[in-house]
Amino acid sequence: MVQRSLAQVLREYDGRVRLVFKDRPLAMHTLARPAHEAARCAGAVGKYWPYHDRLFEAQPRFRRGDLLAYAGELGLDTDAFARCLDERRFAADVERDIDQAQALGINSTPTFLINGQRVVGATSVDEFRAAIDRALQERR
Amino acid sequence: MGTAASYSRSVQGLSRCADRSPRVYYSSMWLIFLLLALVIAARPARALAQIEITWSPTMVRGHSTAPVTIVEFSDYQ
Repeated sequence: MVQRSLAQVLREYDGRVRLVFKDRPLAMHTLARPAHEAARCAGAVGKYWPYHDRLFEAQPRFRRGDLLAYAGELGLDTDAFARCLDERRFAADVERDIDQAQALGINSTPTFLINGQRVVGATSVDEFRAAIDRALQERR
Repeated sequence: MGTAASYSRSVQGLSRCADRSPRVYYSSMWLIFLLLALVIAARPARALAQIEITWSPTMVRGHSTAPVTIVEFSDYQ
């Protein structure tokens, strides 16, 4: 739902808005952290966003086999992907994002910072538009 | 018996406050408010100064010169 709203505002404000994704797996979601690390493994071979979108579609099926299957669907080398996942190559990067979120007091997801302006929770297209328009006006 | 003893201590406490000079009382209150205000004002400034958000270029969608940046902290699960 939120992902659809985001995709729509990115299309509408093409060239004026960019989106940065930060990992904030919550401790209670035991399968989330491997999923975040897997997305970064996909990113290392240039497939971050397709894998990111696939994870949101597949939510919450994030067992190891699922994560490897999604990599296979996207045409990634599944052996190399499995090694990346098993070695937890991007664990420290995910941890760094979590530390930054905690330092900012971000404890619920999703939380958005729109040019620094905090918007928390399931956000509609209209709410995004209002926040973006405000940010654009402040830039003038 | 217990109730009576408590009541007696409470009255003693109130009368001690009443004996204090009003000027001393109000100036301490202002000092406390001032200190609280300083602590509250200092906290966000310190937070902004210390927290730097970094990101991987692979995790960015859209043009790098876009005037608006949405930073999404999210959980796949």
